[in-house]
Amino acid sequence: MLKIILPTMMLMPLTWASKPNMIWINTTAYSLLISLISLTYLNQLSDNSQNFSMLFFTDSLSAPLLALTTWLLPLMLMASQFHLSKETLARKKLYITMLILLQLFLIMAFSAMELILFYILFEATLMPTLVIITRWGNQTERLNAGLYFLFYTLVGSLPLLIALLHTQNNLGSLNFLMMQYWTQPLPNSWSSAFLWLACMMAFMVKMPLYGLHLWLPKAHVEAPIAGSMVLAAVLLKLGGYGMMRITTLLGPLTSFMAYPFMMLSLWGMIMTSSICLRQTDLKSLIAYSSVSHMALVIVAVLIQTPWSYMGATALMVAHGLTSSMLFCLANSNYERIHSRTMILARGLQTLLPLMAAWWLLASLTNLALPPTINLIGELFVVVATFSWSNITIALMGTNIIITALYSLYMLITTQRGKYTDHVKSIKPSFTRENALMALHLLPLLLLSLNPKMILGPIY
Amino acid sequence: MKPPILIIVTSTIVLGTMIVLFSSHWLMIWIGFEMNMLAIIPILMKKFNPRAMEASTKYFLTQATASMLLMLGIIINLLYSGHWTISMIPNPVASTVITIALAMKLGLSPFHFWVPEVTQGVSLSSGMILLTWQKIAPLSVLYQISPSINPNLLVTMAATSVLVGGWGGLNQTQLRKILAYSSIAHMGWMAAIMVYNPTLMILNLAIYIMMTLGTFMLFMYNLSTTTLSLSHTWNKSPLIASLILALMLSLGGLPPLSGFIPKWMIIQELTKNDMIVMPTFMAITALLNLYFYMRLMYATALTMFPSANNMKMKWQFESTKKMILLPPLIVASTMLLPLTPMLSIMD
Repeated sequence: MLKIILPTMMLMPLTWASKPNMIWINTTAYSLLISLISLTYLNQLSDNSQNFSMLFFTDSLSAPLLALTTWLLPLMLMASQFHLSKETLARKKLYITMLILLQLFLIMAFSAMELILFYILFEATLMPTLVIITRWGNQTERLNAGLYFLFYTLVGSLPLLIALLHTQNNLGSLNFLMMQYWTQPLPNSWSSAFLWLACMMAFMVKMPLYGLHLWLPKAHVEAPIAGSMVLAAVLLKLGGYGMMRITTLLGPLTSFMAYPFMMLSLWGMIMTSSICLRQTDLKSLIAYSSVSHMALVIVAVLIQTPWSYMGATALMVAHGLTSSMLFCLANSNYERIHSRTMILARGLQTLLPLMAAWWLLASLTNLALPPTINLIGELFVVVATFSWSNITIALMGTNIIITALYSLYMLITTQRGKYTDHVKSIKPSFTRENALMALHLLPLLLLSLNPKMILGPIY
Repeated sequence: MKPPILIIVTSTIVLGTMIVLFSSHWLMIWIGFEMNMLAIIPILMKKFNPRAMEASTKYFLTQATASMLLMLGIIINLLYSGHWTISMIPNPVASTVITIALAMKLGLSPFHFWVPEVTQGVSLSSGMILLTWQKIAPLSVLYQISPSINPNLLVTMAATSVLVGGWGGLNQTQLRKILAYSSIAHMGWMAAIMVYNPTLMILNLAIYIMMTLGTFMLFMYNLSTTTLSLSHTWNKSPLIASLILALMLSLGGLPPLSGFIPKWMIIQELTKNDMIVMPTFMAITALLNLYFYMRLMYATALTMFPSANNMKMKWQFESTKKMILLPPLIVASTMLLPLTPMLSIMD
């Protein structure tokens, strides 16, 4: 594991010591190399884990998420080049340092072997994200967004700390390898109900669950592009990953404690998709679509069947790449017209046809077109939920329809039709932007050829 | 203040605390407290304005009352146990009186009312000594008598201190008052763990002293005493602005900074002793503290102008304040978390 952690740490001195015209090239190139190392971890047996040390390990659940995280850093750096070009050199380096620090904490969090180490790194990711959102966001609302983001997550996760310490006293150790053999079924009492709540609320807030999702539209919309990318692609998945890990401790309670959260997720899925149909703000649309997809993951993790876990893992990786790509596309619009309103930049297919191709593919993957891994994820979750309760097929089906509706709405509004008169003078697409979209899309399409890599430990 | 006088006064303060730390006779401890209190009054009155006079008078009155209460407790203890040695205090009245006296000296709620006003009235460097050095002596006495303190009293004081420290600081813009309320809240955390594991109280004190010293020194660099003047720091010294960001996050107890170590250890110790509601309550109220630290961070480091200072020559001179050991303090206040397993040496 050190072969990923140490180079990521050393990316920081690399930024500060590079010549001014080489900072982007150096960091992007080396972070791409580091991501190639992490891809080697994808080759593992599904029921065993690769243990590197007492502190770090990877198994087939964390390896795809690790690969997603490391793959995303060069993409974030490529996406940030434009809006940072006017800043002073020290602030550019500071921004890149924040991204690298966040990456470091995320890598360690996904490969942590012990739950308390995972908790510390889970919380540690809040700090660089807060600085990125609040310092480099573009509107005044970013201050409120940072506050909401930090306090929602902290109020959820402080009880988690107490629950983890309490469980460690009872079980002796919170090491993942040992936990699976030492857990005892939780007794059916009020205090274990509170323990269940304390453990799960942090991840529910992070995912986010429908009732606790207020921080997400604010944070995603106000963050700069790299912040939005990492928030949507990786930080939400941290919640899902944590939920999957901690449900091993929580015994038979989940079968009845999960009902309120299942209801909130199922209903919230439809609600947030419907809100997407009424959005004028492009980034806000993508943010609410993230809530909707993550609600599917919550449902999948809470019903705890083999198919649903496979679907959840696949959906997490697929959604990471898809929503990160959508944010990059939205950002390419924003950089040209300096507004997030969708209808201000219409008919872009006439002006930027290659970008329209990327928009089409991103929207198609967002609505879970076969044979992409988005479909595999959604399909597995829908089937598993149907077997849990037959009626949910109505809600899931409605969600799929509404997802298709708003994805196509987004596509048609921005790409098709007559262009608005004031966008005739926008700059053509940069090679950097096309490369960014291609690098997002290629893993997504290639994974549909061999999806067993991202189907998680139950495959 | 003339240097010889400053040397005499400072050495008396140090000597007073040392006498408290090294004595085993209750009378000597009381004498140490008195020396400490009398010698710090000139330090508090460094500036001759009515505000500083008022602050020193308030400090003197509360500390003198606390010393008298301490003497009362000592005499009651003498009456019931027959000796002057500091050790367990079997008599509950004596231990309650001594605990209350020391809580008054520390600024634990409900005896916290003097802390914001005194800290606000004095200069930044005097406030620094007030909030860091002056806590060592009372906490060391509490450490030594900790087995016999009434746990209910201590936990009540801790819970109210954390609440007062969190809520009181919310409406403040003056930095010294903010740090005073922060000190009340941290004292609450220290009092909470005193019953179960006094060693962690010392750990909390050590990390708190490092963080507060660092914070005060960073404020003294720009002579900033209000949030408004702190918001000008990005222009004069952007490095100080970033350091204030790191230190405020550490004071708030966010992982992965070292401010998280005492909170983590205290919560661990409390859950080991089957107290679940108390650490949950304390952790959630610590978020109130985090809110006003975040406000400071927003004003200082996170809302800057789009461009940096364009001038080649700064329009005022470099700061001539003595920053004693500031870099090691900053490092110790932010990066000590990986060393937490070393705490096992304290057993």
